[in-house]
Amino acid sequence: MPTLVPLWSDVCLWLLVLVGLWYARQARRHEPLRAPWRAVRRGPMALAAACVLLVYLAIALLDSVHLERTTRPADGAETAILSVLDVLLTPLRLGVETSYSAPFATRAFSQESVLTSAGRVQREYPRLRYGAAHSAESQGARARDIFQRSATGAVAGLALALSALWLALPAALGRTDRAARAAGLTLLALGVGGGVLLALATRYHVFGTDKVGSDVFYQALKSVRTGLLIGTLTTLVALPLALVLGVAAGYFRGFTDDLVQYFYTTLSAIPGVLLVAASALLLDAYMTRHAEAFTSLLARADLRLLALCGILGITSWTSLCRLLRAEALKLREMDFVHAARALGARSGQILRQHLVPNVMHIVIITTVLDFSSLVLAEAALTYLDIGVDPSMDSWGNMINAARLELAREPLVWWSLAAALSSMFGLVLAANIFADAVRDAFDPRQREFGLTPSAPTARVCE
Amino acid sequence: MPPPLLRIENLCVEFGPSHARSRVIDQLWVEIARGETLVLVGESGSGKSLTALSVVRLLPSAAHIVGGRVYLNEQDIFALPAHAMSAIRGRRIGFVFQEPQVALNPVMTIGDQVGEVLTCHLGLRGRARRTRVLDALAAVGIDNPEQRAREYPHQFSGGMKQRALIAIALAAEPDLLIADEPTTALDVTLQAQILTLLQTEQRRRGMGMLLITHDLGVAWQVADRVAVMQAGRLVESAPRQAFYAAPAHPYSQQLFAALPRLAASARPPVAATEAPLLEVQGLSVRFPRRWGWWRGTPDNLHAVEGASLSIRRGETLALVGESGSGKTSMGRAILRLLPLAAGRVVFQGQDLAQLAPAALRLQRRHLQMVFQDPYAAMNPRLQIGEILQEGLIAQQLGGGPAERAARVAALLSQVGLLPAHALRYPHEFSGGQRQRICIARALALAPALLVCDEPTSALDVSVQAQILALLEELQQRLGLAYLFITHNLGVVARVAHRVAVMHRGVIVEEGTVNQVLFAPRHPYTQSLLAAVPRLDVRTP
Repeated sequence: MPTLVPLWSDVCLWLLVLVGLWYARQARRHEPLRAPWRAVRRGPMALAAACVLLVYLAIALLDSVHLERTTRPADGAETAILSVLDVLLTPLRLGVETSYSAPFATRAFSQESVLTSAGRVQREYPRLRYGAAHSAESQGARARDIFQRSATGAVAGLALALSALWLALPAALGRTDRAARAAGLTLLALGVGGGVLLALATRYHVFGTDKVGSDVFYQALKSVRTGLLIGTLTTLVALPLALVLGVAAGYFRGFTDDLVQYFYTTLSAIPGVLLVAASALLLDAYMTRHAEAFTSLLARADLRLLALCGILGITSWTSLCRLLRAEALKLREMDFVHAARALGARSGQILRQHLVPNVMHIVIITTVLDFSSLVLAEAALTYLDIGVDPSMDSWGNMINAARLELAREPLVWWSLAAALSSMFGLVLAANIFADAVRDAFDPRQREFGLTPSAPTARVCE
Repeated sequence: MPPPLLRIENLCVEFGPSHARSRVIDQLWVEIARGETLVLVGESGSGKSLTALSVVRLLPSAAHIVGGRVYLNEQDIFALPAHAMSAIRGRRIGFVFQEPQVALNPVMTIGDQVGEVLTCHLGLRGRARRTRVLDALAAVGIDNPEQRAREYPHQFSGGMKQRALIAIALAAEPDLLIADEPTTALDVTLQAQILTLLQTEQRRRGMGMLLITHDLGVAWQVADRVAVMQAGRLVESAPRQAFYAAPAHPYSQQLFAALPRLAASARPPVAATEAPLLEVQGLSVRFPRRWGWWRGTPDNLHAVEGASLSIRRGETLALVGESGSGKTSMGRAILRLLPLAAGRVVFQGQDLAQLAPAALRLQRRHLQMVFQDPYAAMNPRLQIGEILQEGLIAQQLGGGPAERAARVAALLSQVGLLPAHALRYPHEFSGGQRQRICIARALALAPALLVCDEPTSALDVSVQAQILALLEELQQRLGLAYLFITHNLGVVARVAHRVAVMHRGVIVEEGTVNQVLFAPRHPYTQSLLAAVPRLDVRTP
């Protein structure tokens, strides 16, 4: 019987989802919040990008429910902590070869010494144990098999996407605008693409295998969670710091302002990479000293991930803080803040009711814009060996491992290609979405945009 | 009859994104002859600025010309390619903007900015250009042009900047000058100077001029012909004398009726039976130009110096002065929204200046403020009900949610709005309605004194009158005292019992309305009164 084993990062990710749902509920009820989101919804590109992001999020969430299962191999009971995604992708996870193999290959990429039936040792490209193991080795048979499987997968994916659309139809009925159509098309394309990939992935290594023979496509899917976590949890660390300190500095000015300013100027004068490197070393030392606290490799890697989010958050809050301080400086001179003071409102109430809601657009824009750069930062830091744990699947680790193979002849390109293309999909979607969000929330964009300067809605005149 | 210099035929402009367009200019026909000044009058949002921008094809990107033609010297402007259009802007049509503070490039010298036009359109360079720049600056009344041409915009005062802008607009000797509210950002004394300058230059060069204003007094000074716009339509166009003698359209008559005028006050003075409600003695407000923790002794800007005044219960004291005279700082300092440098603010026998923050917070309920800009005075993210309850919650006066809701409903009907409006957001209301809400917010705590900081100057004239009437009615009903801060002497005559005149942070004259407006003693008051544009015409 599998039991739920929540890792810390799982808890954080699900908490974030809850926060997101709560925000959505707030936004539905409050017109000033709802209007910009409606503008985002009207953009075809933004809605298509949101669909892609949702697919990434779904993968990450499936990968964030960890179960402890007792498996019984021949040599006795053994427990393993697996995520739901691992369980769903069992054929990919267990289809481990001995070493490199190219996408859709039937034989390994490099020669190995094989003991022939005649008892002689011979160098040859051995047949893969899992990749294309079921089909005949001839080119024609393999192509036919690939085609058949893709067709089945495409039909299944299309059917799934169509039924999802049909389920959403009551809500989408009457919304035949361009944005909804774009979102529908994106869903169909994702359904077909996903169907084809999954149908093939059970029998072939669609992105090949890496040095230790594990499936690259599986790694790429597992990396989604790492990337998303870094992109979102870091913000969770940075946001409260930036919001509280920035708004307080701008509103109170004087001593508070000086203190906060000196603090963040000092912090931003330290090179971020050095700070990350130092704390990575620190954490390593801590974990070796307290080895008994980290029972599993997974828990260890998880803690390193959280620590990375934390330190990235601490190095990245300053720019948002600066923006918020400037905005608060402007807001504190607004008449409605003066009016609140004249009414005798306390500072806490003014900050909560008048300042924070009016800087939220900056927070949202920055959060969405920063997301993609954080995903990229993870890759860069891991490449420098100061990022996530080497045992954890992440795009940075994949790129780092593939680096050495780029000099090889013939080239081992698939690891790099898989990491880059899945990262590219996420970052591109996030950037398109972020642009739409900025357009909708930035008051400067709105000045000449939506409302004519004069004829505001007259209520009773 | 010669063809007109500018002919606008059936101009239609729409505004907004494609799914929600609204028509802001509707079938406009206007002609301006050579040497004629047409003044386009209308309230904000009537489409007068967009008309001017259409003529030079500089509309904001959200506005679209959907129909009509504009001819300059019988040449169809809308049919021209973009490069030919830029040869017309500045050369054939000069444009003066409303805000001199933002219309000049802060990193270029004034001389270069004038010279830019000459180089672009006339190809002048070197010595020839320099001579023309100095001529242009001298023509608009800038003394010592050699020196001033080398200066940057921040070294120019507001009026000087507007003169420089006029010099830029006139440098290439255009046929038509368009001035969009050229004096709105300026004080009355400067306003008179700029209007005279525009008029003389127009006469001297025989240009056509399209001047846009919301102020009937300005129109009276410079117009040959007056055109009135309302909600994108031209409702009346008439020669000046005929227009001011008998405005034909009901809307024009409404504009005249709403105009506050300098007349003797009919308000009897408030009896001096008891001690004053508020007594301010020797109030000073200074702004440090630099502030901070270890930046040494600050160098101060003296906004208010040693000002004293007193207000009795149920009395209105008008505080009059030009922008920058320190009257707003004074109002805010009385409420201790600004730190006081010196002075006493005795309210009901208690010196507010000496109160500790906690005690002050409780006293605040008796003194409230109504702000100039009703668009900025309300948090856009709160519902009207929440805005009105804020004070009740802060002072813990409201009781439970049901009692507070009842209080909100009562306040809304007190200022002429509906209780159902409590669930709406500020952006759903017009300017006048927002100002009513701001007044309701100030009344929520049942104060004894309201500081009204230019409460009507951001509003259209027809709405101004309604707000003033509301304030008067509330004063009679609730016995409120007002400190009424304004630059509009017409409003003073209507609302005030007594007047104090402020100049450069000092109160230079104080007395009853009739004393100050009709027998001013201080030279500054006299010049202020002399500069008010007068309408010496009776309305029907």
